[in-house]
Amino acid sequence: MQDSSILNTFIAMMDRIGLNYEFLATGYEATIWRDGFITTLYLIALLIPVSLVAGLVFAACLTSGRPFLSAPVRGFVEITRNTPTLVQLMFSFLVLNTFVSNLVGGAQNNPLTPFFWVVAVVGLHIAALHAEAMRAGIEAVPSSMVEAARGMGFSQWQILRHVELPLAFRASLPAIVNNLINLVKLTTVGNAIAVSEITYASIMVWTQRDNVVSLMIVILVFFSAINIVVARLGIWVERKLAVPGYGL
Amino acid sequence: MTVSPDNAMTTTDGKAQDHIVKLEDIHLSFGQTQVLKGVNLTVNKGDAVSIIGPSGSGKSTLLRCINALAMPQRGRITVNGTRVDQLTKESERIELRKRVGIVFQQYNLFPHLTVLDNIVLPPTKILGVNRAAAEKLARELLDKVRLSDKANSYPGQLSGGQQQRVAIARALAMKPELVLFDEVTSALDPETVGEVLQVIRDLVRDGMTSILVTHEMRFAEEISDTVVFTENGLIVDHGSPEQIFHTSTNPRIRQFVGGLGARGTVRDGEGI
Repeated sequence: MQDSSILNTFIAMMDRIGLNYEFLATGYEATIWRDGFITTLYLIALLIPVSLVAGLVFAACLTSGRPFLSAPVRGFVEITRNTPTLVQLMFSFLVLNTFVSNLVGGAQNNPLTPFFWVVAVVGLHIAALHAEAMRAGIEAVPSSMVEAARGMGFSQWQILRHVELPLAFRASLPAIVNNLINLVKLTTVGNAIAVSEITYASIMVWTQRDNVVSLMIVILVFFSAINIVVARLGIWVERKLAVPGYGL
Repeated sequence: MTVSPDNAMTTTDGKAQDHIVKLEDIHLSFGQTQVLKGVNLTVNKGDAVSIIGPSGSGKSTLLRCINALAMPQRGRITVNGTRVDQLTKESERIELRKRVGIVFQQYNLFPHLTVLDNIVLPPTKILGVNRAAAEKLARELLDKVRLSDKANSYPGQLSGGQQQRVAIARALAMKPELVLFDEVTSALDPETVGEVLQVIRDLVRDGMTSILVTHEMRFAEEISDTVVFTENGLIVDHGSPEQIFHTSTNPRIRQFVGGLGARGTVRDGEGI
């Protein structure tokens, strides 16, 4: 291992203040832990666009005025919002996933991994929250402005695309950023179905090393840092999209 | 005769006429509320027709019927050969709306787009005009409404009168066959009313068929070929501005136009 002297100095210093990072000098556990960080970052990078796109589709369905689109989405949003994500994840993995396995003739043929189920469940859960935020934004667009657009000859889809969504997105951005911050934290539910994100990897390490506090400090700093970045990006986008002379 | 209430049915069918809008026996209710109770109106190409009358008399609804934003329960509406009352599909109504411009009291500019983009968006997205051509037209129209220097401003940075002039330019960018104006100066302060009226005045002078719902009696008198007085969902009377404003024998009309001051309430900056 290169940098081993720096690493060893670090381990010795931490040991002096009572924190145990000895496992970093071993190959195996250090790799598990590093991969845990990468898996979490990978989950976040995937989940943010998945939740935003699905949220947009849900919001469009909810405000479409067509019951065959809005009713199923409304039902899904209610179930998703009102039940624990952990339970949804276990239900999806233990029931839906088994169902899929039976359909394709055995678990060995099932292409759906635990990682997939975390992305699907957390992504759609946050999408439901995005959809409600965007719906509020869409409904806040004055009806007279929508009528004016209709009077010019815009179709319902064009009004959504060019008038309602640009305004709704600006209005709902603070709520959406809040949801994204929640999303970052929610990736940790993956450990319930053995997705080796950072908390799962940490549990693997601390059950052997009994260094819970040492790892916990790193986990908390890690998530705080990501969410400070997410919140900062949100403010940056908000400023970027601000409309002069308009309240948003 | 531009407007022919009641006898409209007898004179027209089949004949090549230069009327562009023809409403026959229009009935429209919102729930239990009867808004229009048998309206007849004919507007000739190139004419300016002002619809006046007390609030709640159905003026705005009448205007909305012409571009299918409101659909009557009974009656025939013809706009330049199109039977508007028979348009059942939204796509057919969109085809009609492309040809009929409408400007509203509350301007309704898109606040997130610059003035230029507000005018460029409808022709590019609805008519499929390419961006360069739409932008060229938009700049000409901005010149026409005297706002060339505001092309890159946002609506929120403009005064009400300036926003309304942009809204008129936006309607003209669709190259409509006629333009409907729904109380376009009612939300403006007296000083800015004049600049909007000047734009409409120029438009009427250029021969654009215009139907205006308005409370600006003096302006209606000045620019209209015909003035229509509505009350309780019916056209009470119609005629030349002279007839309606000065020689009408109908006591209700005399009271209404007298109350609003057909003569003698010249606003500063309004011009003639």
